[in-house]
Amino acid sequence: MTPAFSLSGISKRYPHFALQDISLSLPEGQVMGLVGVNGAGKTTLLRLLTGLAAPDAGEVRVLGHRLPEGQVAAKRDIGFASEDMRLYRTQSLRWHMDLVRRAFPGWDDDYAANLMQRFDLRADQPLEGFSHGQRVKALLLLCLARRPRLLLLDEPTTGLDPVARIEVLEALADVLRDERRSVLFSSHNTHDVEQLADAITFVHQGRLVASDDRHAFVDRWRRLLCQGAPPEGLSGWPEIASVRTSGSLVELKVRQWRDDLPERLAASGLQVQREEAMALEDIFITAVRSGAVA
Amino acid sequence: MKINFPVVRLLVIKDWQLFQKQLALYVLAGFVALCFIGLGKPWAFYVGSLMLIIVLVASACFSISTSLLVERKDKTLAFAMSLPVSPLDFTAAKLAGNLLTFAVPFVIILGGTVGVVLATPLPDGLVVYSLLVFAWIAFAFAVSLAVAMSVESEGWATFAMIGSMVLINPYLMALGQVPAIQTRIAQDAIVWTPEAVGLLAVLGGLGLLVLAATAWHHARKPAFY
Repeated sequence: MTPAFSLSGISKRYPHFALQDISLSLPEGQVMGLVGVNGAGKTTLLRLLTGLAAPDAGEVRVLGHRLPEGQVAAKRDIGFASEDMRLYRTQSLRWHMDLVRRAFPGWDDDYAANLMQRFDLRADQPLEGFSHGQRVKALLLLCLARRPRLLLLDEPTTGLDPVARIEVLEALADVLRDERRSVLFSSHNTHDVEQLADAITFVHQGRLVASDDRHAFVDRWRRLLCQGAPPEGLSGWPEIASVRTSGSLVELKVRQWRDDLPERLAASGLQVQREEAMALEDIFITAVRSGAVA
Repeated sequence: MKINFPVVRLLVIKDWQLFQKQLALYVLAGFVALCFIGLGKPWAFYVGSLMLIIVLVASACFSISTSLLVERKDKTLAFAMSLPVSPLDFTAAKLAGNLLTFAVPFVIILGGTVGVVLATPLPDGLVVYSLLVFAWIAFAFAVSLAVAMSVESEGWATFAMIGSMVLINPYLMALGQVPAIQTRIAQDAIVWTPEAVGLLAVLGGLGLLVLAATAWHHARKPAFY
């Protein structure tokens, strides 16, 4: 099966930032969450995937098209919305819908009307009268109603109030029921990513830190509370991401959980008292701090 | 890479729809200026011609600043680029859209000016002089458009716009120093001297050259960023 997109050995250099050696792919029908702090390289990655930016090295393929050469054909099947994308404020949503309808043959009028009702948007009101939440929803409507095969969303929930955020996430969850539609969305909100994504990718300082299936992440990463003295060189063990000592209590964060680990720790003088799964946010922070590379 | 004409047309129509009301106001202001000129009184001629130059400069700057600079500042550029367009399509659309939004009020006001000069007791020699003034504004527009399309900096684009338009002042003074042009203004006949024709040809040629170089430069870009 052709992947929705694949990046092979991608590098992109700007005067104050560089994306380095990124290889990543998304199977068709999957939802990938791209997690990283501001300035990590998420937007650059999405620009490469829309053909807006050309890589300095490596190959970008989206829906079977090599980018940026095939960007026009690829963009016909892509819905792209970013947090820093704005609509023309003097014009109405209906004007925008007419414009997008003429550019995308797959535009679905019924679905657009449905989304407009669901998001409680007024078609004839100029955008300058819209709140931030309404503008985001309008942008999302323009993306979704063109029925894209690949949806690329850059920080779609940033700056939204809780109600608008839930509405946007619910609309996205509905979209994701279509098994042929692939989605990549970036966020620094790990809770949103946890709710929607099948696969998760961490980026930091222009590098891919980790990329895996969401369940694999949760299965692999563990927080252990241990009693005893940590053996020398424990932080150098490949499966250990972090070691924190507080008196006789030792907190370990494990990036590669194995059932025999408590036994090996016990042999080194550490008794595991508690073992628990880690939240995605904690996994992200630990992965970034430990400098793990996928 | 080939130009996708339907998309270029779509983007040009988009720009036209965005700015048509303001452009109509510029045309209206141009007609008010021409009414003053047509009164045939020295004070009215002075007020009208000054107003006419202001309207032409303002409409040329409006076209560039709204379709290029404001689009970047308001972040609507990202929306336009998310449509199925290549950098070549986008460049073609921006060139065509700007030329259209500039040319429509420009040609209407130019026609009105020639009409007023010929239909009133004003000397017909003013036709050539008016065309030379209009030619400078068209040339300044071409330079400003080329700079605004080629640089990311709003400061440089604004500098190019103001600089090239303000240079109309020394240009008018220079025209006054050319006897073959200056002495024909007050004549009641349209006389195309080689100096006037040469100047029109130079300004027109340079303007086209600047726009062609800009188009060629952008057409070679594989991506927007």
